[in-house]
Amino acid sequence: MIERFPEGFHPFVIPFLAGMAFVLVVCLAKAAVVFFQLDAGSRRRYLVSLIIPNVIIKNVIDIILDCLLHVKLWKRNRMLGFMHSSIAFGWFMIILLGHIQVLLYFPNRLNTFYYPIFFDYFIEGGNDTLVSKLMDVFLYVILAGIALAIIKRFYSKLFGMKRTARPTLFNMIGLYSLWAIFPLRLLAELCARSGNTDPTLWWAYSIALCTFMCVLPFSRYLHIPAEMLLVTMRNAHIEVTRPGKGMAKVQTDSCPNCGVCIDACPMNADPANLKDSTVYYTRQLRRNNRERIDHIADKCMLCGKCTSVCQVGVDGPKLRILARATRKYNIGADFTTVENLPVLPDAQGKVLYFSGCMTQLTPLIGRSIESVLKKAQVEYEWLDRDGGLCCGRPLHTAGRLKEAQELIHRNEELILSSGATTLLVSCPICYREFKEKYVLPGVNVVHYADYFTQLIENGRLVLKEKSDICYVYHDPCELGRGCGMYETPRKLIAQTAGIAEAPANRAGSICCGGSLGSLSLDFTHREKITRASLENLYQSRADAIATACPLCLATFSRYSDRPVKDLAQIIDEQTKTNNIRQ
Amino acid sequence: MNHNIVIIGGGIAGMEAAKALLALGHTPILIESKPYLGGHVAKWHKLFPDMSSATELVEKLRKDITAANIFLSTDVISMNRLASGWTLKLSNGIVINASAILVSTGFKLFEASKKEEYGYGVYENVITNSDLEAWFNGESDWRIPQNPKTIGFVHCVGSRDLKACNGQCSKVCCATAIKQAIEIKERFPFAKVYCFYMDLRLFGKKYEDFYVNAQRDYGVQFIRGRVSEVGETIDHRLQVKAEDTLSGKPLKLQLDMLVLMAGIVNNPSIRSISAMSGLETDSDGFLRSSDNEYGVVESGQPGIYFAGACTGPKTVPETVAEARSAALQIHSYIKKLA
Repeated sequence: MIERFPEGFHPFVIPFLAGMAFVLVVCLAKAAVVFFQLDAGSRRRYLVSLIIPNVIIKNVIDIILDCLLHVKLWKRNRMLGFMHSSIAFGWFMIILLGHIQVLLYFPNRLNTFYYPIFFDYFIEGGNDTLVSKLMDVFLYVILAGIALAIIKRFYSKLFGMKRTARPTLFNMIGLYSLWAIFPLRLLAELCARSGNTDPTLWWAYSIALCTFMCVLPFSRYLHIPAEMLLVTMRNAHIEVTRPGKGMAKVQTDSCPNCGVCIDACPMNADPANLKDSTVYYTRQLRRNNRERIDHIADKCMLCGKCTSVCQVGVDGPKLRILARATRKYNIGADFTTVENLPVLPDAQGKVLYFSGCMTQLTPLIGRSIESVLKKAQVEYEWLDRDGGLCCGRPLHTAGRLKEAQELIHRNEELILSSGATTLLVSCPICYREFKEKYVLPGVNVVHYADYFTQLIENGRLVLKEKSDICYVYHDPCELGRGCGMYETPRKLIAQTAGIAEAPANRAGSICCGGSLGSLSLDFTHREKITRASLENLYQSRADAIATACPLCLATFSRYSDRPVKDLAQIIDEQTKTNNIRQ
Repeated sequence: MNHNIVIIGGGIAGMEAAKALLALGHTPILIESKPYLGGHVAKWHKLFPDMSSATELVEKLRKDITAANIFLSTDVISMNRLASGWTLKLSNGIVINASAILVSTGFKLFEASKKEEYGYGVYENVITNSDLEAWFNGESDWRIPQNPKTIGFVHCVGSRDLKACNGQCSKVCCATAIKQAIEIKERFPFAKVYCFYMDLRLFGKKYEDFYVNAQRDYGVQFIRGRVSEVGETIDHRLQVKAEDTLSGKPLKLQLDMLVLMAGIVNNPSIRSISAMSGLETDSDGFLRSSDNEYGVVESGQPGIYFAGACTGPKTVPETVAEARSAALQIHSYIKKLA
């Protein structure tokens, strides 16, 4: 193995070096800006996290699994997973092995930066080593990935995707230059190995690299460096707090525009809404197009399905709430009626039941909860029987964070002063707000599905014979994706009746269309979403639909061709009264 | 004449059309799925605005059409088109070759329990307009208290309400609510009666007088604002939450009884009829007339005509006028055939 040229330089390396310098400067500058946009506490937390061994290990593992191997995509679709990981991991390995190769055989050339990239041009007979052979393997792996990428542009269905995101101009340039890099490298290497030192192909290779790196900061490929930053920031528990700044900016830049969220979005029941899924939202955020940002942010139902399928973890709902929070309103919230609330019952040591506004609109749920509590001889008080305060979530999702916080404080005071030790909630919308935003020391906030399960386990509730009705359980967004409760309601139904599954369920459940999250969707659009969601449930061939959210119940009841019940009603029907002294 | 004319639906539209056809020398065949004639009106107490008896009207019509062939408790199970006319198979096994068909299948009342927030079927003292009419007609109803002190009427329950899948105005409930409020005031003169409305659409002759009467002579109080929800107090009284949009304030009222003015929705039986005959339904789910200005009783298909609420909510006088108009059109259609 010998060097072909003693000077070890050719002008074709200049485009590569220029592109590399450009992309490094831009990315470091962007990272610095993001860092200084964090508040002082988060900044310190982030820096500290970078020297904690556990976090370092987690960062490395996460970056390898998420950014290089794309494990989440593999789980979704093997073709999609192979396509992405072959390019990402293959390219990474070529770069790594290239440097190892130089380090092993020409360590004095490491400082040139370009030797590992253009190794075969500068070195003669360097392709017999194991490292070189490995690199060849990875190059072919990448080429296979690129072949798949080309196929995917025309037959995305093969990759489990009905729709993909429309590319922008920069995305197209980036894409074509990326596709060009590896065949050019292969051709150039083959030429060089056969002894031909014509630099034309190397020029092309270098220019393709330069083009890719120059468009990277302006295209979706910014996700490559951004995602690494995102992983480390997430592991440092940095929160999304400021619109377009800090963590929000990193999430936006980390969106790879894969378009998986387009198929996931429940609003796609109407093709007119396709332009409003999260992939286009992050695009508009990067362009800072206020009009479109407001439009998309208002329309979204905040069901969180895009986040559940997103491989990088872009929090679509949160980014939208932030945009809503920037809006100025002429009218503030009027909380004068808050002072005239009914006197709170003394609930010392008892269970305090908070039904929430939506359960007030579906009184059968509240009745069932009361009935079950009486059967189990639970001592309880109903906090808002005669009407009470909103939990604050509708204001919170509307972006009126200050007003929501006022309600939350007032509710916290009420609940804490009641002396209750358990707060029972029947609405998952409230439940999520209580869990995420409330500070209630000494109070156990519990959803009735968990609570009733405990009552059954303790023998305080006795179940009747199983009913022969077969239910399909619809996961409410706020309970499933929102609070991570998928199995408890299913177990309860399975104990009391038959249960079937719909094709899209659990984290893939389709929003009922009634969501409080959307500020601008009208009824005709919502109806389409509801019907699509019902169609999915009908496929289970169940006799009836069960859910655990008053809003899903009310929404489905409008259009469903079969009975819709809340889980609380099912439990009430299927539990005995006679073992209990009334 | 040996041309059969079939009338599907024996409410007041079908009965009035039968009467007119008899007068024109035909012997129509009247098919009614219920065991009695008169449809909704047969169950109603009084009609607005003159407060004449609904049952008397139905009784009078029934006597006028005894010469017609009437099948009660009978459904049409199939309809097949012939070169001229139609073959109808009935649930009692009879097959009829009809030259002309009048569809007068009427409407269905909105199921008030679908608006769960109003508590029908949940709270004891919540009833519908049709429950109240039955009680006026002498049926007992345990949900109506002995001596109610405050009574509420909720307008537009399942009307003009996209959430309830009914965008259209039911047209008759404003005046019906006023009528029922007056009737209830006559029964319970000391009760306070509130009507919660979003709009009052008092378009017909003497309706406005009726509205003024209710306020001036009976002291019925009208509150502009939709009821948001109905709850129960600890002592089992109804508690209504609404917004008084004229004063711009939220409102809470405790009531002894609440009457929901369930709106008019399309009769689901028209779905099978339209499937068998190729008749089209409109976006509101009612049958589609050939046009809504000049051809309300025409279906657009030769020999098939409409009368009454099968094409949309109608008042009694409108229904009667349409029945007569359709009868006359059928008469001239048959004459052309002969």
